[in-house]
Amino acid sequence: MNVKLNIIFICTFILLISCKHKEDEYHTITDKIEDLGKDFKGIPLSSDKYTETLKKVEVTENWQRFYIPERKSQIKSFECSECHSKPLNEIQGEENIEKSHWDITLKHANQETMNCVTCHSENNMDELHSITDKPIDFNLSHKLCAQCHQNQFKDWSGGAHGKQIGGWAQPRVSQTCVGCHDPHRPAFEKRWPSRYNVHMVDERK
Amino acid sequence: MNKEIKKWFSLNLGNKKQSNCGCSGSNCDGQALENKKDGISQVFDVDMNRRQAFKKITAGLMIGAGAVSTSCSVVSGDESKEKSQIEWEEYFKGNYKLMTEEEKDKTVNRLVRSYELRIGKKINISSKNAMDDVLFGYAFNISNCQGYMDCVNACVKENNQDRASEMQYIRIHEMNDGKGLNFGEADDTYYHEVPAQGHFYMGTQCFHRDNPPCVEVCPVQATWKEKDGIVVIDYDWCIGCRYCMAACPYDGRRFNWSTPQIPEQEVNKDQHYLGNRLRKKGVMEKCTFCIQRTREGENPACVEACPTGSRIFGNLLDPNSEIRWVLANKKVFRLKEDLGTEPKFWYFMD
Repeated sequence: MNVKLNIIFICTFILLISCKHKEDEYHTITDKIEDLGKDFKGIPLSSDKYTETLKKVEVTENWQRFYIPERKSQIKSFECSECHSKPLNEIQGEENIEKSHWDITLKHANQETMNCVTCHSENNMDELHSITDKPIDFNLSHKLCAQCHQNQFKDWSGGAHGKQIGGWAQPRVSQTCVGCHDPHRPAFEKRWPSRYNVHMVDERK
Repeated sequence: MNKEIKKWFSLNLGNKKQSNCGCSGSNCDGQALENKKDGISQVFDVDMNRRQAFKKITAGLMIGAGAVSTSCSVVSGDESKEKSQIEWEEYFKGNYKLMTEEEKDKTVNRLVRSYELRIGKKINISSKNAMDDVLFGYAFNISNCQGYMDCVNACVKENNQDRASEMQYIRIHEMNDGKGLNFGEADDTYYHEVPAQGHFYMGTQCFHRDNPPCVEVCPVQATWKEKDGIVVIDYDWCIGCRYCMAACPYDGRRFNWSTPQIPEQEVNKDQHYLGNRLRKKGVMEKCTFCIQRTREGENPACVEACPTGSRIFGNLLDPNSEIRWVLANKKVFRLKEDLGTEPKFWYFMD
């Protein structure tokens, strides 16, 4: 009789102490994010300390507001009109003069889709132009790329494509399209990996 | 110091034979009794005679005295005295989780000073705590990864990993197109031009789960999940049993089978107590989301190094962060979801 009672006590005791459900345990991480993130008011950390010396331009794309590094000051031979006084159609075709930009070969889509004037404006060398011949500033060259590469553009405006400069804290400073992709040869070339772990290979023999 | 020594006569409550036996120690029916004892009694109720007991006590005392004398000695120089003083204090410190801010500062200073005494160079160890309203999350874009392994190299350099055993926290797997995420057929030690035809690449590392099995199985609580979501290890508390290594379903943990060797010029001098400070032989280590960088607002080294921008890091609690945008707008998935451990590392494709 006593033994039975003891067993019941022990079982109840074990049942009570084995319940691991704590107050702050969430079932899924998304529950936790939703709950803890609903009153988010910002954190004291900012990316400013890493991007202070960088010249930035603020953009708003797809309802996202962020910064991109300024581009015009980084282009060595900008502004084009400093050297080129004649418009493009007047210097084209002349045989005796030296050709600049001989080192730029276009490897971007094919001849049917793209040539130099797809992006560069003939009338104004200091600007780019859209498909509908609207001017696009060199600092905002991503608008050009967005015309064809819409998926990547959408991802980039949200932060899912490309690299961030200055860390994870707000305000976001995103690298531009041309920061990683050379507009004249945008594809990443094949290369060899930067590491070969001999140890791991040995271990698996 | 050695534990309290067992009595030189042994008291065995289970066996009547022993009490009749006048003698003590191993000359008696010690052998027959061995089978009756288990675990605790094998340690605490060892039959021993006086000689053995005295030998053990003296040995223990000598070790203790040796330790004490190196710090109190009059003949050794100031520096070695300070060194042993530091070692002594470091030996007796508690678990980092239970330390007060003051104690944390003290231990960090001791470690910095100890490095300075040994090598002569200054390092920076931080004991910065987790910030409020921060929960770190990570996303990996499988479409963009080309298998360059730049992230692995950056991680090794940043986190002072052992060069002799080529330890790497991150592994990049080369998988076959059309076969899906088949880790059994994947290769993570490839060495040829990438991206190779017919393959795609993805990386794994510690996923910093919200419900980490490694934390639950640690017998000494040397590993735990910090408030900002990073699962960390106190290298001075770890006993090296490697139970956590067995518990991790993703092979996220690494063990130092030998003393880590890092060339002095390559040591990353900006360290965190729970992150990339120099480890010793016999302790576990793993990815800490570069805690020494991320708590200061920087991205982890792997994110910074990736040339294709496949890695995304951020604060999950900030609705404007890139990681939240990815979770809301891209089709994300995680590995081994059915285990219910809630990793904070998502994969997605363009």
